[in-house]
Amino acid sequence: MKAKWIRGTTGAATALLGLLLLTFMIGRVMPLDPVLAIVGPDADRATYEQVYQQLGLDRPLWAQFGRYLGDLAQGDLGRSLLTGLPVTQDLARVLPATLELATLAILLGALLGVPLGVWAASHHKRWPDHVARVLGLLGHSTPIFWFGMMGLLVFYAWLGWAGGIGRIGLGFEGAIPRVTGLMLVDTLLAGDTAAFRSALRHLLLPACVLGLHSMAYLSRMTRSFMLAQLSQEYITTARVKGLSRRQVVWGHAFLNIRVQLLTILALAYGGLLEGAVLVETVFGWPGFGSYLTGSLLLGDMNAVMGSVLVIGLLFVALNLTADALYRVFDPRARS
Amino acid sequence: MFPASSWPLRRRHLPALFAAGWGAAQADSPDDQLLVGMSMNNLLSLDPAAATGLDAATVACNFYDSLLEVDAADATQLRPSLAESWAVSDGGRRLTLKLRPGLVFASGRPLTAAHAAWSLHRVLKLNLAQASVWKSYGYTTANAAAGIRAEDPLTLVLDLPQPTDPVLVLMTLATSMSGYVVDRDAVLAHEVKGDLGNAWLTTHAAGSGAFELEEWRPKELLTMRRAARYWQAPAKLRRVVVRHMTESQTLRLMLARGDLDVAGGMSAPDVRALARRPELVVEEVRRATMYYVAVNARHPRFTDERVRRAVLRHLIDFQGVASGVLPFYGELQMRPVPPGLPASLPQPAYSFDPAAARRLLAEAGLPNGFDTTIRVVAEAPFTGIATSLQATLAQGGIRASILPGTGNQVYGAMRERTFEIIVGRGGGGAEAHPHSSLRALVYNPDNRDSARLSNFQGWRTGYADAELNRLIEQALLTPDAAAQTALYQQAQQRLDERVPAIQPIAQMLDTQVLRRAVQGYVGHPSGATRLREVYKVSKR
Repeated sequence: MKAKWIRGTTGAATALLGLLLLTFMIGRVMPLDPVLAIVGPDADRATYEQVYQQLGLDRPLWAQFGRYLGDLAQGDLGRSLLTGLPVTQDLARVLPATLELATLAILLGALLGVPLGVWAASHHKRWPDHVARVLGLLGHSTPIFWFGMMGLLVFYAWLGWAGGIGRIGLGFEGAIPRVTGLMLVDTLLAGDTAAFRSALRHLLLPACVLGLHSMAYLSRMTRSFMLAQLSQEYITTARVKGLSRRQVVWGHAFLNIRVQLLTILALAYGGLLEGAVLVETVFGWPGFGSYLTGSLLLGDMNAVMGSVLVIGLLFVALNLTADALYRVFDPRARS
Repeated sequence: MFPASSWPLRRRHLPALFAAGWGAAQADSPDDQLLVGMSMNNLLSLDPAAATGLDAATVACNFYDSLLEVDAADATQLRPSLAESWAVSDGGRRLTLKLRPGLVFASGRPLTAAHAAWSLHRVLKLNLAQASVWKSYGYTTANAAAGIRAEDPLTLVLDLPQPTDPVLVLMTLATSMSGYVVDRDAVLAHEVKGDLGNAWLTTHAAGSGAFELEEWRPKELLTMRRAARYWQAPAKLRRVVVRHMTESQTLRLMLARGDLDVAGGMSAPDVRALARRPELVVEEVRRATMYYVAVNARHPRFTDERVRRAVLRHLIDFQGVASGVLPFYGELQMRPVPPGLPASLPQPAYSFDPAAARRLLAEAGLPNGFDTTIRVVAEAPFTGIATSLQATLAQGGIRASILPGTGNQVYGAMRERTFEIIVGRGGGGAEAHPHSSLRALVYNPDNRDSARLSNFQGWRTGYADAELNRLIEQALLTPDAAAQTALYQQAQQRLDERVPAIQPIAQMLDTQVLRRAVQGYVGHPSGATRLREVYKVSKR
């Protein structure tokens, strides 16, 4: 057990180091100039070179990377060139926003997508199956950006149900003390029910849009897993024994796809955490995806490296969690 | 099919959910707050010595005051601000500014001429983005203490190290962020490793403006509150909330819903749609910045003046681009000096003429045209201009590929002089002065690669004309206004005769959409739109 834990930790650390090295090298060969972003287009040569040196860009690549790792070992991810703040502080600000959005989205996606997939599989080639497949196809192939805009148009602009842009109404901005960074939690902790309702109204629509995308993916995968199980002989046996359809589907077939579902749920959740940038852009959501993309486009490599490290850690954590849950759901994994 | 009883949520639970999620009243824009939506992508620092670009200018002018201001309606007119009067003496080499008595910073500390001098010294010592203009006037860290000094608490003296037009320097004091007076004691209290408070001022403000910075979350939100101790009449708004928003259609929806008061950086179709709504007003402010097409005169393809003439004078559909691509982004302008200045000239008679272009190319030994690339920032209106240019170049036999990229990539290639054709925007400067425009766009005192004068577009495009440089330099030092105007006009005529590597096509328009309830909002040509006079007409 101890050896397995050591192997796992070593493997994760090696993967993270490789990820950082790769990101660092890509960042340095990309035709992006962080100095230009800082000094502006009209700065003269002396100013440009002064900032170039201040950023340490005149040093050899290995020295730059070594220094980064040295600082990282002390918990210092450096300072973002573009926000002027420590990257850890930036990440602590943007990550909870995405965490809140992605968590609700994956919950919505799983709660709708998994039953839909099961329903489709248990009515294979009948109208529920066709409906689920069309929904899955639409949800997966329609650009999420378009869904976001249409959602805003209908639920915000026409019906006035959704809260609109940002995480909370502009009138509440700055009025809620930041404790966890999760707006729903912070508004509750502040005891401000009006702010909580505003935060919820702002969260629901982007979460539904993201969740719809996840729902499509999860329903298609669930359907496929279920179809494979429903064609097994033990299912025929169960039916012959007189079990109800519900017992067969949920009590036998579904139990056997839980491990596969866990894997795709973990991957889908990880994808939402790092890749919600389009929804964040449409909804003015100040999250992790926007932060990473903006930093990348302007060559802010401290921010990019810090973000990539967080993504790596998130995936490692999700994989470890999924591994742990395998043991709960699959007796074979326990041995 | 699932039986209804298997659903964990019953139908009767739904109204409660709706009530929690959607029951709240719409948070409408309050009367004492201004809600602004704009991109803050380029707002990287609030430090007046380091900040660059319009985003920073738009925000920082509300935290800081400058010694002088320029009139929003006539950008050539200086107005008092912290300084109540100013004088030019010693043959234009000395500027004396008298500050108002009783000025205070937001911190409550008195604001004196010593703070104004220190603020300028700080710009030079830090040598960041805002130092360039002062270095161009001959100031260095070595001569700053003697050349910029407080003679008494209310008198600031600037001795110009080299001959220049004193009006230009006064314009810089009035329009550049480098002219903002910072609270020395507040800044030095946060100094780290001799940075003169640069790291702290990046995300904080220490000025004497009508508003104080309440909170800034980069690329998310900036809030400012009315300063308690403003030296003029207090701002009419209690609070201003600026939200980072980059998606034009989202801005449009929020304006239409009444959840925003002011929106900037919107796409032309969205502005056009909103212009039809009676509760909204579209305001366009002319900036000195130009949209241009530039070629690299160092590239073998464009060293021949006939090729440049063919491309820049006959293969750009100026009228078509202005009317089809640039509404709400820019207005047709084919000279570097914008209209409204004494030296401005009428538009030249450049016209789209593929036949003339083909003749010129044939004379240059290129009867079959050539292949080339157009670098362009991948956003409107640049891509529209580039697409139009690609089509019109094709009519002259030039086969161009478009290379879209970020601003960093596109202008980076220009700074390295590794481009062929670029569609860009720049130049002009904040000062409404012909020198500012000509210097930014066509002046190039040293065309060698080793000179690396990448702050001049003239150098970036690899075009140098000694006579043109002489005219620009001579005009700057000519004290007589009429003679100076004549020289600037000669410089522009020289540009007509010769073909520089950069061709302005439009003067930039900064388009804002406002709710009609917003009053007193006057967009400033320099970008420094102060909100102290803005108020909202009550909806109740």
